[in-house]
Amino acid sequence: MGKTEWQLFYGKFIKANGYRVVLRGLVATLEIAVFGLLIGIFIGTLIAVIKVMPKYKRLPRILSAVCDVYVGFFRGTPMVVQLLIGWFVILPAFHLQLDSVAVAVIVFGLNSGAYISEIMRGGINSVDPGQLEAARAVGLPYHTSMLRVVVPQAVKNILPTLGNEFITLIKETSVVSFIAVVDVTKAFRQIGDSNYSYIIPYLMLALTYLILVIGISRLVKLMERRLAKNERH
Amino acid sequence: MNGINGKTTEETNVLIEVRGLCKSFGSLNVLENIDITIRKGEKVAVIGPSGSGKSTFLRCLNCMEDPTGGEILFEGENLADRKVDINIHREHMGMVFQQFNLFHNKTVLQNIMMAPLILQTKREIRETARAQVEKRAEAKGKKHNRFAMWWLCGVERIKVSKRVKEQVRERVKEKALNLLERIGLSEKADAYPATLSGGQKQRIAIVRALAMNPKVILFDEPTSALDPEMVGEVLDLIRQLAEEGMTMVIVTHEMGFAREVADRVLFMADGGIAEEGTPEELFGNPKNPRTKDFLSKVL
Repeated sequence: MGKTEWQLFYGKFIKANGYRVVLRGLVATLEIAVFGLLIGIFIGTLIAVIKVMPKYKRLPRILSAVCDVYVGFFRGTPMVVQLLIGWFVILPAFHLQLDSVAVAVIVFGLNSGAYISEIMRGGINSVDPGQLEAARAVGLPYHTSMLRVVVPQAVKNILPTLGNEFITLIKETSVVSFIAVVDVTKAFRQIGDSNYSYIIPYLMLALTYLILVIGISRLVKLMERRLAKNERH
Repeated sequence: MNGINGKTTEETNVLIEVRGLCKSFGSLNVLENIDITIRKGEKVAVIGPSGSGKSTFLRCLNCMEDPTGGEILFEGENLADRKVDINIHREHMGMVFQQFNLFHNKTVLQNIMMAPLILQTKREIRETARAQVEKRAEAKGKKHNRFAMWWLCGVERIKVSKRVKEQVRERVKEKALNLLERIGLSEKADAYPATLSGGQKQRIAIVRALAMNPKVILFDEPTSALDPEMVGEVLDLIRQLAEEGMTMVIVTHEMGFAREVADRVLFMADGGIAEEGTPEELFGNPKNPRTKDFLSKVL
């Protein structure tokens, strides 16, 4: 059995150019995860800064309430549902012409923004309040103090957690075939579908994700070490 | 201008005037009805038992804590008023903290340079651009309306920004290096704060405040977090500044230092100023029984 399974896979993957589909799928997966993460970090930082702002003025209070609703929705519904709503509800409702990968990037960005906002808030709270005070005491405005002093230190503190979020994001992208994106999962499934032999393709798929995730963990560790340079040298 | 006895603040040399300052955290009244005037060049030491509101009083002076009542007039402007842009005034009020609060993510030099660099660059780009536009308009004998002025200044800002940025950076860097040399820490310019001793950190925190050319420096227990052998170097630096005529308000537990450096000592108890006077009066002949009691415990 083993030999024929291998032969079937080999035939599809190499001879019938299946690897091209897989590579394209890999690019799509990474594209969605990376850009999703970037959008997520941006939105998450924004929400976190709004949430930790002093609340004696009206505007921060309103913004904070809006953020609560946003975070509530994206954490309270499954990713697949959000993808389906984005693709089948929002897009037709506004007559938008968007690539399915673009929709996936946006939905993943919005979704991870909700999670990262909580991570980032924890990070900001972990920074000694004296840091913000010292920056404010020399006359720097609130947003400059946050951006130059507090957030960089917060990011350093949450880097391992952020790496974790990226890993989660990569693995979660395996559901994007719901909206007709061909990612690695879909690519390997297509290879399996073509001759109803799934053993090798699915094991290969698992291996692909595993290698991706291990690579990213290594990268995060490296970044951590570089950022730790201002502790001691 | 607000002033005393009909004189303007300039004439009487008043720098900070506190009137009826109150501060409460929820239902807890920390400061009640504090009145005090601080003149230019004066060194005021604030002493008192812990929990008496010394630090809160100091932190109210530059609105790190928002006062719940009363006025803080700094050069005639009421800082307690929410409509006043506090950031502009904070530039002129240096603050030194018990825990130093150097920016962990910046080198020593960056710590000193950051605020002047950001604030002066912003200001000078704006001013240079405006001056250029006005000069050109004058040469042509034209007078721009408000919108044209706004637009032309905006364009001019982009043009001058790079040049001004470099000028300011050079100037600020030179000043920062001079300050570091003054405290003998030039070789630490590129070190991160975590590698320094407490005394070094606090001296750098003091010159960080000096880099802004403040009119007054507020010291919040500057030596309380230091190992005993490092207290001396920090006090020496503060003493130097005092001799140079810097106005300062110092919350401290170093009675000997307060006695030596201060022109005036405030004794605070239960959220108010229980007694104030020259160091000789207050340490030599305290009138309030609470002052006597406190001094008998610490001296």
